[in-house]
Amino acid sequence: MRGLRATYGDAGDALAGVDLTVPDGAVVAVLGNNGAGKSTLLRAISGTLPLEGGRITGGAIHFRDRDLAGADPTAIVRAGLVQVPEGRRIFADLTVDENLRAGALAVRDKAAKAQARARVFELFPQLKDRTGQKGGLLSGGEQQMLAIGRALMSRPTLLLLDEPSLGLAPRIVEQIGEIIGEINREGTAIVLVEQNAAMALRIADEAYVLETGAVTLSGRAADLAGSEEVRDRYLGIGGETESATATGTGDATDPAAVPAAPRRSGALASGAPATRRATPLALVAEGITVRFGGIVALSDVSLQIDPGSTHAIIGPNGAGKSTALNVLTGVYTPTAGSVRYGDTTLGGLRPHRIAAVGISRTFQNLALSAEATVERNLLVGRHRLTSSGYLTTAFGLRRARRELAAQREAVREVAALVGLEDDLHVLVHTLPYGARKRVELARALCAEPDVLLLDEPVAGMNARESAAMSQTIAEVRATLGLTVVLVEHDMAFVMALADRISVLNFGERIADGPPTEVQRDPAVLEAYLGAAQPDTPDDAPQAGA
Amino acid sequence: MNEFLELTLSGLSLGTIYALIAMGFVLVFKATGVVNFAHGSILLIGAYAAARLQGDLGFWPAVAIGAAIAALAATLLDVLIMRRVRTSEPTTLAILTLGIDIVLATELIRRIGSSILTSGAPWGSEVVRIGNVVIPEARIAAGIVAVIIIAAFGVAFRFTDWGVAMRAAAADGRTAALMGIRLNRVAAGAWALAGALATIAGVFFTSFPSPGVDNATGLSALAAIPAAVIGGLDSLAGALVGGIIIGLVATYTAGYQGDLAFLGRGLSDVAPYTVMLIVLLFRPSGLFGEQKVTRV
Repeated sequence: MRGLRATYGDAGDALAGVDLTVPDGAVVAVLGNNGAGKSTLLRAISGTLPLEGGRITGGAIHFRDRDLAGADPTAIVRAGLVQVPEGRRIFADLTVDENLRAGALAVRDKAAKAQARARVFELFPQLKDRTGQKGGLLSGGEQQMLAIGRALMSRPTLLLLDEPSLGLAPRIVEQIGEIIGEINREGTAIVLVEQNAAMALRIADEAYVLETGAVTLSGRAADLAGSEEVRDRYLGIGGETESATATGTGDATDPAAVPAAPRRSGALASGAPATRRATPLALVAEGITVRFGGIVALSDVSLQIDPGSTHAIIGPNGAGKSTALNVLTGVYTPTAGSVRYGDTTLGGLRPHRIAAVGISRTFQNLALSAEATVERNLLVGRHRLTSSGYLTTAFGLRRARRELAAQREAVREVAALVGLEDDLHVLVHTLPYGARKRVELARALCAEPDVLLLDEPVAGMNARESAAMSQTIAEVRATLGLTVVLVEHDMAFVMALADRISVLNFGERIADGPPTEVQRDPAVLEAYLGAAQPDTPDDAPQAGA
Repeated sequence: MNEFLELTLSGLSLGTIYALIAMGFVLVFKATGVVNFAHGSILLIGAYAAARLQGDLGFWPAVAIGAAIAALAATLLDVLIMRRVRTSEPTTLAILTLGIDIVLATELIRRIGSSILTSGAPWGSEVVRIGNVVIPEARIAAGIVAVIIIAAFGVAFRFTDWGVAMRAAAADGRTAALMGIRLNRVAAGAWALAGALATIAGVFFTSFPSPGVDNATGLSALAAIPAAVIGGLDSLAGALVGGIIIGLVATYTAGYQGDLAFLGRGLSDVAPYTVMLIVLLFRPSGLFGEQKVTRV
């Protein structure tokens, strides 16, 4: 693959010139955070970008002697290149047998099909006993096996695996890792996209690290596993230099070096009351358990978030971070346990009631009105603070007009606070990704919250944008006196910003404490890199099983 | 009692006809996500072609060619128009099919004019007596043919490669594409099949006791849309159940119109929609529809 570029709509490059080579029969790992472009890379290779409204804008994909860039997915499968999608995506209403048949539809040769089938049952004997069972009734691990088996039905020479360990218990991950090795020994080359760096680096020959659509690091897997940079990226250890810029007040760094950094507005600098200063209370979750069907997403998790603190919730993919945030904002009602904010019990309150209590959030994937201006999006955030009804607004009564003017002023102040004051009248979809993340932050602030919950605020940002965002959040918190709750993968960001960190893994809280303690915690090292204590007894709950 | 039995049997028969139409509707929705309001016009194309050709060719060849013409027309709609805008919003696509429906219906109604074309079905207006119960032969034939088609369809859907591809694509198109299933082909196949099913339904729909194909046929076939909605829009079993419910409701309300006079005339035209509203009040996703869950 040479200089591959891809884009969705006009959102800028999701892949900006990626070079990647997979030798015959090798295992190549692609690592990177959420939003780094891993999925886009796989979609580009498997020809499914157009289904997501994206396209390849440059570069080439050579497979054997063919250029596959822009070929249709069926041709690519026939050429011997098959992808196992993230999250397994088995056909839940189809039986195991039908799932396997669906994987073999591109193959015409009956004998080859039968052979592939026998091979799949050899690799996954569990599946053989369950051919008539619906895919959706399998356990997480079995579903992953079925997804891999389904892909193997077309006898690929190159298998693309997207996050095969996602949400699975350590023992199952181990097993999947062994099976991948087994498949590879048969001569199938493998591209393994993973956030579980430990697993990926163990079985891969070579590895690439992807960051904001570009390869930032590559080499032999064994070398990368030992490298400072990888440890830093996944745990924030040794990231002192980066942390320094992230928390820097701006006088040490050249402001021009941080283009997205907020500019202080006149109103703020002159000390005029910008937005109401928050009076946060303690947010306490006790013994939270959340089950989805048979899957335990959170198991007896307690969180104590002190007023005015910055509290980070971290953990590998599938650890239950987003579920935790969704419980705190009332999107999910926990199966057991309670959430209290001050003296108010949040359990069972509808999301808009929780917003009224003073808790506001942003989303992992942008949830903005793309065709509206920044100002309009921010006015939505003011909704709970407005009183004009449909009629007064529709008839343009004076009270409504006066209120709108006041709201516009408030929105302008918030925009100034996060460095968006010059973009107020710009349509959201024309803004770069980093700025849109800021719009989300600003919209949450517009509700004048006491507690701000941020779901992956720097996902998909490069180190510089992430540092600027870190600075903005620190300033906002200092100016408004908020409690900030963060869910984030970027460890440098978390370590620099958080006062306290709770670590989740497989739905359980495995550590809790100040950053310096947490990043040395053996259980945390184990969860992220798996390297610290290889002999840890495997007593983790089987969240995915 | 006899009247009730007669009405039930003929309601069931009408129900299977509606079920054929609704299944086509559901098939297109499952395969392409399009709520196809042009389905009534596609039915009219097939039924019209069959009625025009039956004089020269005989009934069954005419039905076969009519079905082929409707299948071709539906496929062309998909390939020439819908495929180009496949990634658009579902509402946009639905409105587009409304536009297509207006264009097709206008032309067909112009051709039909005020004439009534008989379907030329071999069973004409004969009736069968079982005890005191009188059933038109056409209704019995419709019921039998529809049940055979639905059963064959169910078997194909369950056991053939085509069925697996269809269900996989409907369940998760992106993943199906990753497995090498050609989504465009699956979509075109669904449209073609919907067209053929609609034609067969249309031919029975316009056979005795109905006088034949007239300019309102497309409109009355639209009652299959509430059938599909009651069933849940994305469930073939739902289309069958919904079709039968609508068939029974329409027949009862027409049969007992005298006793229901206080509700006004033309009740049987309105009743399917009323039933649909009542079902949706209690089951917003229909009887068999998938509950939509959004993750944030």
